[in-house]
Amino acid sequence: MTTETAIIDIESDFMRSPEKVMRLERMGSSFPTRLSFMRTLIRRMARENWKFERTRREVDKDGYGLSIYAVTTPHRTYSLVAFTQKIPDEMRTDRVIAEVWDATFNLFDGVPTQEDIDYLANNTPKQEGGRYRPSELALARANKSLRVFKNAVDSLSKGQQPDIDLLTSVGYLMRTSAVYGSGKFGCADRAKIADRDECKAPFQMELLTVYLIRWFTIDSVEELAKERGGKKAVKLDKTTRQFIGVGNATGLGMAPFLLKHPALIHNWVVAKETALARVRSIETPIEGTLKVFLKSLLQVSQHIDEWNVEDTVQADRISCLTDEIQALRIWCEDEFNISRPYPWNGIYQFVEDNFSLECQEMVVSLIIEPHGSLVDDLAETMSTNLIPTFNADMSLAQLKEVVEDSYQWATSIDFSLKESQHHFWYYSEDKLEPRFGSKGIDDGVEQEMPLAIGRDVSQLNKVLSSTSNEISISEFVMMYPEFRHIIRRIQNTFVRPYSEVQDNLLSESMRPLDLLRFKLAFFGASKFDPKSNLWTRISMYQGAPMPDQLSEPNHDCWSFPIAGRPQSFPCINCTCQKAI
Amino acid sequence: MSESYLTISLNEVLFYFTRAAFGVDAPIGLSEDFARANMWISENGFDPSLCSLKALDNLDSQASSLSIKFEKTKEGGHLFCPEGKLLSSLEASASSVDWVEINSGVSELKISNVDSPFLVISALGANKCNGLKVVWTDQEKNQFQVNLTDSEEWEVLSSSSNPIELSSNADVLISPLEMSDKSYKGKNIKKFNLAEEKLRVLHNGVKVEENWQAIYSYFSRCLVKSSAASRASGAGAGLVDTD
Repeated sequence: MTTETAIIDIESDFMRSPEKVMRLERMGSSFPTRLSFMRTLIRRMARENWKFERTRREVDKDGYGLSIYAVTTPHRTYSLVAFTQKIPDEMRTDRVIAEVWDATFNLFDGVPTQEDIDYLANNTPKQEGGRYRPSELALARANKSLRVFKNAVDSLSKGQQPDIDLLTSVGYLMRTSAVYGSGKFGCADRAKIADRDECKAPFQMELLTVYLIRWFTIDSVEELAKERGGKKAVKLDKTTRQFIGVGNATGLGMAPFLLKHPALIHNWVVAKETALARVRSIETPIEGTLKVFLKSLLQVSQHIDEWNVEDTVQADRISCLTDEIQALRIWCEDEFNISRPYPWNGIYQFVEDNFSLECQEMVVSLIIEPHGSLVDDLAETMSTNLIPTFNADMSLAQLKEVVEDSYQWATSIDFSLKESQHHFWYYSEDKLEPRFGSKGIDDGVEQEMPLAIGRDVSQLNKVLSSTSNEISISEFVMMYPEFRHIIRRIQNTFVRPYSEVQDNLLSESMRPLDLLRFKLAFFGASKFDPKSNLWTRISMYQGAPMPDQLSEPNHDCWSFPIAGRPQSFPCINCTCQKAI
Repeated sequence: MSESYLTISLNEVLFYFTRAAFGVDAPIGLSEDFARANMWISENGFDPSLCSLKALDNLDSQASSLSIKFEKTKEGGHLFCPEGKLLSSLEASASSVDWVEINSGVSELKISNVDSPFLVISALGANKCNGLKVVWTDQEKNQFQVNLTDSEEWEVLSSSSNPIELSSNADVLISPLEMSDKSYKGKNIKKFNLAEEKLRVLHNGVKVEENWQAIYSYFSRCLVKSSAASRASGAGAGLVDTD
């Protein structure tokens, strides 16, 4: 298996086609799987026995000051440097344009010296306004969920556990509003760390930062409770600690990333689809897996019950999902339905034929889940170092053929219609905040980001159709330099069929939210809580083991968690069973 | 980010230089190539803003042009600007890389009146076009020869100590590198090892000096002025999030 592209058999009857998978509506129904990057990271932490330690806590009685949390891996140490401060309530915003935050963080590569800490103290609280160095691997910030944070501190200081209903309704104590890595604001380039084993999977350092922030939030409320309650104070009970995630507010910044890294996206999707195809192609189920799946349907019903959102579209989807999971449970109770050969394919096919996309994608996640030994190797294939190159050697005839074969989704869109080019993407001068504009309403169409893949292919196709095959592609781009970028893209994506979103990203009905959810699900996020078509809140690491639980059985089985109760179905057929 | 004398990352070089070129109306594909060339410049320890500002200024003032023509010659090929202006190195570098790829670097390519020859070198380097010799005499009569030996090692032979990155306005000749090209007699020689220098850059960052402000200014042209309406609705979230 190469790290570039997983070996796939596109012809396999069990592999879903790019035309089916890479549509916005389905992408916007994604759920995390056991191949999601948070899961990969937790497995590595446990496998390699990473050590976690709070090395400094120099804060006042209200918890404002400096804290450092260190994690030691087999080859090196990483340190989360955290600064906390008091801020006015009305300045608390999830937007990029925020100026102050309750807590700000850097993930430092190694153990920082006092000189490093002094440098960061002058920069980290300013976030985008500061400058960082290659010793900083990530930059992040978080704000409190005031209600939950206060309730947790008050309750624990009185010797009580927090209000579980309130905690369940939010799911976290603090919410991050940006986690930057890969060279942003002067931080280390990915190339500095890309060869390290623990950094090979995508976004591992950013997600390590978030994992440490989660620990920091839990540690903070417990310490504050102790400060206030003295001997009366208690710690969070083990199940509650594990249930608490860390929130995140995600906006448009994620969408351009997805569109600018097609080879990477191809590898993510191929890995997930290959995992699904492997499971669907099992003729006789591995012992115990069906039983675990049936138990997971019960747990997931409770998880959905706890997934409450105000957004009416998502609320309707959740309501429908509740009914469909119930219907699936009843269908599965009929032995005849699941005792036939290829039972997983039977379950998948039944769901695809009868239920919503939301349910289909949840079931994809659920049927992959009990098959760790069969699919976990695919996590190794989800990165890429590919830099797209322009192939001047390709003939114009070949290019025309590729556009016709692989980009039919783009050439069939009528871009002369106003509604087909309704939107445009741009960077605002306000802290470079990415925004989504409407033509004729918003300024800035001249500064549009080059993300209109379908439109650009369509325009290229028109010019190609009136150009002779006799000229070379290098002559063509000398005549039409405006097509160099889209030709390069086509040359690099047609061999990676899962790399393109096969929809019009400019259309009036387009919801950037679908792109956000797709990417966040690959990260491992849950409890999607849309605040608009451009913005969502999520929970990360909800249900994940805390540092002191990483060596316990079932540390890898934390998908679709429920409040106040440990995982209700046993771990099976994955590496964490070995810890039992 | 707009101040001078900063240390930036390679990813920031890619981000800002792509948009700086777009800011002087270069098509996005050429802008991406330009930014990749500037990453190579940075990975070799140069200040990319020092190397590239002149090329952007020329395009912005229309002293140079992206308009280009190719003609076949007895020795290989010839690229030139049909408008009689300086040929922008943004276009010249992309087209020369394409030519080398098609011809496998076995014949000669002459590029007339290029504004920043070092950008052509860096595009060839960034695209791993090796086994080539690039020679030119610039407007100040400085002679340069760059030998792109392999994907890691390259060297500059010059008649003066003038910095190669500031050499401008020259006819450039690209041809296969032969053993006899490694004659160092009477020349200033500077050798580079990309892998070693890149490692240093990854650990220390890319230093940019006084020209950075001007690069940032071109970049800023890609930003859209914020209005009360776009601030309120363009990102889809509220302005206060207290919960």
